[in-house]
Amino acid sequence: MKSIRIAVVMILVALFALTGCTKGGGKVASEANPGKTDISAHARDNTVYIGVAQDFDSLDPHHMTAAGTKEILFNVFEGLVKPDSSGRIVPAVASDVSRSADGLVYSFTLRDGILFHNGQPVEMDDVIYSIQRRWDGNDSAAYLKALNVIKELKVEGKKLDIILSEPSNEFLAALMDVYIIPKDNSELETSPVGTGPYRFVSRSVQDSLVLESFDSYWGEKGRIKTVVFKVLESADGLILGLQSGALDLVAHLSSDQTAQLDEGFNVVVGTMNIVQALYLNNAAKPFDDVRVRQALCYAIDRQAIIDIAFDGYGVPLGTSMFPSFAKYYVDSLTDYYSYDPEKARSLLSEAGYPDGFKMTISVPSNYTPHVNAATVIAEQLRDVGIYATLNLLDWSTWLSEVYSKRNFQTTVTGVTSDNMTARKLLERFGTTTGNNFTNYSNSEYDAVLALALSESDDAAQTELYKKLEMNLTENAANVYIQDLADLIAVRNGLGGYVLYPLYVMDVSTLFWEN
Amino acid sequence: MNEVLLYVLKRLLILVLSMILVSFMTFGAFSLISGDPARTILGTEATEAQVRSLRHELGLDRPFMARYLSWLLGFFSGNLGVSFSYRQPVWELVGSKLMLSLSMSLLSFLMIILVAIPLGVFSYKATGKTMIWLRTIFNQLGMAIPPFFTGIVFSWIFGVLFRLFTPGDFKGFSVSFWPSFMHLFFGAVCLSIPRIAMTIRMMRSTVISEMNKAYVRTAISRGNDRRSVLSRHVLKNSLVSVISFLGQTLAELVCAGIVVEQVLGIPGVGRFLVTSILHRDYPVVQTIVVILTFWVVFASFIADIINQVLDPRLRRGQT
Repeated sequence: MKSIRIAVVMILVALFALTGCTKGGGKVASEANPGKTDISAHARDNTVYIGVAQDFDSLDPHHMTAAGTKEILFNVFEGLVKPDSSGRIVPAVASDVSRSADGLVYSFTLRDGILFHNGQPVEMDDVIYSIQRRWDGNDSAAYLKALNVIKELKVEGKKLDIILSEPSNEFLAALMDVYIIPKDNSELETSPVGTGPYRFVSRSVQDSLVLESFDSYWGEKGRIKTVVFKVLESADGLILGLQSGALDLVAHLSSDQTAQLDEGFNVVVGTMNIVQALYLNNAAKPFDDVRVRQALCYAIDRQAIIDIAFDGYGVPLGTSMFPSFAKYYVDSLTDYYSYDPEKARSLLSEAGYPDGFKMTISVPSNYTPHVNAATVIAEQLRDVGIYATLNLLDWSTWLSEVYSKRNFQTTVTGVTSDNMTARKLLERFGTTTGNNFTNYSNSEYDAVLALALSESDDAAQTELYKKLEMNLTENAANVYIQDLADLIAVRNGLGGYVLYPLYVMDVSTLFWEN
Repeated sequence: MNEVLLYVLKRLLILVLSMILVSFMTFGAFSLISGDPARTILGTEATEAQVRSLRHELGLDRPFMARYLSWLLGFFSGNLGVSFSYRQPVWELVGSKLMLSLSMSLLSFLMIILVAIPLGVFSYKATGKTMIWLRTIFNQLGMAIPPFFTGIVFSWIFGVLFRLFTPGDFKGFSVSFWPSFMHLFFGAVCLSIPRIAMTIRMMRSTVISEMNKAYVRTAISRGNDRRSVLSRHVLKNSLVSVISFLGQTLAELVCAGIVVEQVLGIPGVGRFLVTSILHRDYPVVQTIVVILTFWVVFASFIADIINQVLDPRLRRGQT
């Protein structure tokens, strides 16, 4: 009896010591951690270090294509217009924008006294040069398809009229990507010059990019003097960087990454504004049968995917649209197919697959969220007799095999709109659209799409876009999963992080609290 | 004298031939795997026409042999080409990274020699029970734990806890020497641990087999004590096989550094190689691969020379 009591006491003591140890250890970490030393060093120098997971591609603003490059260089370049944090399009290099009643003429007034980062004033010649570079097709990498509605550019002093061949509600949004750069530029790749709140200082490939607040910015100047983007391509490297005090801010983290951080950080939760789905090759057997596609929709439990692979972060979707595009978003479509494996099985036998079938899911291996979702999907499909194998491809292979050659059965990936128009999310499912990688082909969809694209009245166009969304859901074009959550770790003391409804990181609003 | 010259010339020829062969194989491998640099650069939004015209601009629409030969000519005339992704001359991108990776490898190599050779001999002599235990544990753990894992653990212990360096903030030697050195130092430690373990084992087993040879028995029977036989004869003979192994290690270290560079955030050439492969940035990949080939062949060349100095029998066999 006595010995048992002693044993119990000893176990309790041991447990206590253990928990004491871990607590103590954690404390040591956070005390030795940035806390007092590094944070004040970065704050004292008025500098912010931001970790990014991929290196930037071209710094030529008309050549860059990586989402991660556009996201950051948003701070360096501006078009005639730019987006604000609520998703509205506001004047930037132009001080005034107006549209004629027939929607065919856009008039811009060049902002008075606006300067490039090199100190030169922005002239109308520079504006024309920048538009032309993306419009005339002489530079294939810079060519922007959305500009082909332009018929003519008319300049009168500080006024520019852009005349369109047909009305387009997406034209202004497309202009956000036409960054204004000086006409005389020989080193766009190595020392780009723009008009934004931050100017480019230096870049070391695969290592870092340094920006500095531009003193002569026309609008509200950035409060942080120097912003350093550090390229750390390993997930552990990013977290260690935050823990060691090297980094102050990292976006696009996963929930298991943020779980490793202590109280020294604040985690901001936003959405990635991306439509993650199990995209189906509608031209390949058996996915050319609408019943098979619907069966897949019933067989996949989206909430379970979000709970298992994303710790509950993420917004389930039912069509090719996400909630932050509130105007176009149709909430009722989300639950159009509720999880029902029984129904899935009966649809499969109706379609002639009573015993299910085998399929492959091709996934770009560098996107962990897509790989994780695909893993759970494969497991869920087993329940209705579908045996799915994962085929992990590196990004380059995925792009050429799946996206360009459409040589695949199904794939998990994300589709997004980088300029805040519904068009990018919906046009791609038109039969003849070049980037319709899912081979979706539906005559009603094509007809409504044509109407929507030529509609100049915004309200009527919005209704047509909603019809397209419904069409995608009813015909189960793809198995829509979720809008991924975006977790951003921000060091305590660093304030002013603002979420945008598109993939940009605005560093001009950041500041160190005292 | 002539023999030596002939030998060096022969080795140089092998060096150049292997560089050409490897570059050809890399070039070939890239044309076999799928993935298109132009599409990768332009991303998902570009039209097929845009992709085609960029392919033309990059010269990717030319036949395989034409592309390879013009690359080869460029390489031997000192023009390494322009990176597809960064549109900058390859050498400007690769040069400084290469120096960084080489310094980390050399540092790590130095650690291996300084730690493993004395410990190898020591572990032969140490026959106590605890010593055997310690040796076994260190060797097994050292060989089994991969450098990327020690990289994470060391970053946390020495970086986050003791703040001896700052993971994720490698500033470069020109900006701040000491923190950058500490960063590389821990990278080198991670790299060297498994190889130290292997070298110790190798050193120990060679010393044991040498000690059982007839010449050792003869020497001891003539009245020499074991210690002086060990230091005067056995050590020198054991080194021959260990040095070839070390030559391989030196070559391997640069390649093994890839993962450590990723974890510790060191902007070295290994990390660059991996991303360039993923982006199908051929000019960069070709350059790095050929330089690594040079390094590998060169390291074994140096090991051979040292061995020949140590062992005259090899020299005679050569001619």
